[in-house]
Amino acid sequence: MKLIRLITLFCAAMLIASGAMAQGKKGKGNKKAPAALAIPELEKKDIICFALYTVSDEVLKLTAQLYPIPDGDTKTVRLEIEKDGEWVEIARTEAIEQGWTAPFRVEDWDDTRTTKYRVLHGDEASYEGTIRRNPVDKDEIVVAGFTGNSINAKHGGDLSRQDLIDNVKKVDADVLFFSGDQVYDHNRHYAAWLKFGRDFGEIIKDRPTLCLPDDHDAGQPNLWGESGKISTLSGAADGGYSQPGDYVQEVERAQTSHFPDPVDPHTVGQGIGVWFTNLNWGNIDFAVLEDRKFKTGPAGRVPKQGPRPDHILNPDYDPASVDVEGAILLGDRQLKFIDEWAQDWADAKMKVALSATIFCGGAHIHGNANGRLHADMDSNGWPQTGRNNALRGLRKAFAFHYAGDQHLATVFQQGVDEYGDAIFSFCVPSIANLYLRWWEPLEPGPNREPGAPEYTGDHLDGFANKVTNYAAANPEKTPAGNLLNTRAAGFGIVRFNTKTRDIEMECWPRNVDVTDPEAKQYPGWPLTISQFDNYHPRSWGKLGELSFDVEDPVVQLIDAESNEILYTVRASGKTFTPGAPKDKTFIVKAGKDAPDTIVLEKATVGSEAHSVTLP
Amino acid sequence: MSPSKSDNLLLILLRLGAFGCFAGWAWVHLYWEGPYGVLLWQDATFALADRLGVSWDEFVGSGAQDGLVQVWHHRIGWLYLICAILTLTVRTKSRIQMAGLIGGSGLLVILSYAKYLSARQQLPMFVEHGGQMLIPVILVLALAFGVRHRATVIVASVAFVMTFAGHGAYALGFPCPTPANFLGMTSVILKVEAETARTILHVAGALDFLVCLGIFIRPLRKASALYAVIWGFLTALARPVAGMSLALNYWGADQYFHELVLRAPHFMIPLYLLFLWRTSEAFGTLTVPAATPEDNPDPQTCRPAAPLFN
Repeated sequence: MKLIRLITLFCAAMLIASGAMAQGKKGKGNKKAPAALAIPELEKKDIICFALYTVSDEVLKLTAQLYPIPDGDTKTVRLEIEKDGEWVEIARTEAIEQGWTAPFRVEDWDDTRTTKYRVLHGDEASYEGTIRRNPVDKDEIVVAGFTGNSINAKHGGDLSRQDLIDNVKKVDADVLFFSGDQVYDHNRHYAAWLKFGRDFGEIIKDRPTLCLPDDHDAGQPNLWGESGKISTLSGAADGGYSQPGDYVQEVERAQTSHFPDPVDPHTVGQGIGVWFTNLNWGNIDFAVLEDRKFKTGPAGRVPKQGPRPDHILNPDYDPASVDVEGAILLGDRQLKFIDEWAQDWADAKMKVALSATIFCGGAHIHGNANGRLHADMDSNGWPQTGRNNALRGLRKAFAFHYAGDQHLATVFQQGVDEYGDAIFSFCVPSIANLYLRWWEPLEPGPNREPGAPEYTGDHLDGFANKVTNYAAANPEKTPAGNLLNTRAAGFGIVRFNTKTRDIEMECWPRNVDVTDPEAKQYPGWPLTISQFDNYHPRSWGKLGELSFDVEDPVVQLIDAESNEILYTVRASGKTFTPGAPKDKTFIVKAGKDAPDTIVLEKATVGSEAHSVTLP
Repeated sequence: MSPSKSDNLLLILLRLGAFGCFAGWAWVHLYWEGPYGVLLWQDATFALADRLGVSWDEFVGSGAQDGLVQVWHHRIGWLYLICAILTLTVRTKSRIQMAGLIGGSGLLVILSYAKYLSARQQLPMFVEHGGQMLIPVILVLALAFGVRHRATVIVASVAFVMTFAGHGAYALGFPCPTPANFLGMTSVILKVEAETARTILHVAGALDFLVCLGIFIRPLRKASALYAVIWGFLTALARPVAGMSLALNYWGADQYFHELVLRAPHFMIPLYLLFLWRTSEAFGTLTVPAATPEDNPDPQTCRPAAPLFN
């Protein structure tokens, strides 16, 4: 009897799956998905779809995204700005046919004033926007964060993004951060990118925007880039890119060619470029990281622990067994960049790291069912050594980590040697949630905040990384009805207060008005931390208070024995009390914009207060 | 080679093709996982399971314990393994074993259907599995009616055409985009840029379709089959060649080698047809001789006269 039921069930499953897929192709709602990727027939005046820009170190980089230019028409695209009521051409470039991008680079940009710009093509096409002034005088810099832009109607992806547009305008975000998966179509990035531009161009054109191409953008379900290797294994866990190098280059040109210049521009395999860099805006120094490009693929490198090379199902496995020698996460080039970035506090009061995903396994349940997965090597929890190296570098800058990818909004404080000894990370929810995940540890977490859910507190992730959870926007167990919010879709807003040094994280569902006092965020948010919480190990003590004769000096702590820099940070105000490990001696350096003066040579925890006069 | 020996050889080719296919998929199911996620991980499937009295935990497991999904996934792997053994043990009068192989063919149809759904209903995905789905049927027909029987050869030809038409459609990128791993494998193995790889695949795709036609044109059929043997083997071999490395655990064999093995029908069916036509012409007959147990001691090829497919 049971067998008959099972057979019936299996046959029905086939029919259901078939029906669901067929509906996906032919259903009313889903008619929009393929239509949305159709490149429309346009008049020449509408050939410019949208434009993205950043300004950093007095260099404007702007990329205009065009629809296909008809044969015979000029490929020259011009950039003009408004000066004293007149439009003045400041640059021109040739559109690149593969992907139809027109990248501009303008040096000696005056970032002290807001400037209107327009991109022109031929005699008719014009697209206008605003290059904002650098908001260095604002106390609060607002960064809106997004991830997972599915357009699949099955998950609400076909629904309007107008709520997102409206909310970004209402909070007047200073920076837009799209952490990845702006595009889910694995073969038609160009068409999908145009669709993205039609959806978000209205807010992108007027503010600096950072879009990090993630796995789906590159045309594959997961991405371990292995410095541009070619992947041939289904699922790509062998490392490398599934799509050809020219496809990946087109993706990166569309999404990142407006970034500040890469700090280390050497290409990787297949001629694929690199774009890790930093953007200094409003006294916030953003490190834009590539956490996929250099990462080693796990297939064949780690002992098999589950039905996929990148999945670990066995909870009793030895986590150390997968932390194999030679496995890379960020790679030496980026670690070197992070090290230098962490020490450079010129024009910076706070530091923020942006990457596709977070540095831990941030979910337990994957997919639609129980799907308990002990560990997922697609997360940055693996390889553990690479993860710890990244965190050791980032905490030296008290960096806050802003990311996405997980389809599950979470806030974690990472731990390396002990719980809570590294940075906070905020993973934002998906715009439309293609694939559900839940943070649902089997045991309640110790050291929870009073009244906090049992899933918060200290935990080991599947790789035995120490993490402290503060919030998780778990979707409903059986999502139905409202496709977006029962699937925990939404977006993030982070407010960086450069005066108080507070960081406020907001996690909003879709289709709410964030300015409405009645509007509710996902449980656990808003959450506010201090910049200095990003490196505040529980075991540390305090050196004596330092009083300076200048506001906001840069302070650096160095281990007197090993000469290792523990951290560099810009203090808030004229006093600073450095945190430090007990039973060690430290050198403290400080300066107005760089830690160039030794102010203490044998400081220890509990040492006396000290008054410092900087040259 | 005598007719009986050549018939034995033909049967061995079919046995090997079917064995490789089942053994390769058994490895996938028992060591990795089958491609059934698209069928099972559906909200509606859970709802239906509930209506049939199968609880959530029974269906998907509790996390600590396997549910029906995991248990049956594993059992399907064992079924494939049993089918692999049957391909070696089945004889002319082994009706139950033959039924088992037909059941195995059904499993392969379900598997191919799941892959087709996973590939967003790209028809070439289902079609290119034709050789794998049909090789157990060809083997059973060969045993039941003879390796040269019209039915056997017709089904083998259908399997041939499905395999190469599906593969050719993907290589040409029509009506679906060329899978990225086709380009990747070509680039890695031949050390060529993506553009060159595309050109090579377009040519290969066109040739795939040509050989599908060629096997129905008598003067071209042996050449077509020979090409298909070589190309079918090379494309199957491409997976381990592109992916395996001395630097990987087990040289990556556990990741890639089964990809060659389960594609055995892709070159064994053309090889069967090639030998069939070669020996048919050598014997100068278009029909199987009316063999008797006396003049052909092998019962497997001892069948009444039957017209040859030509």
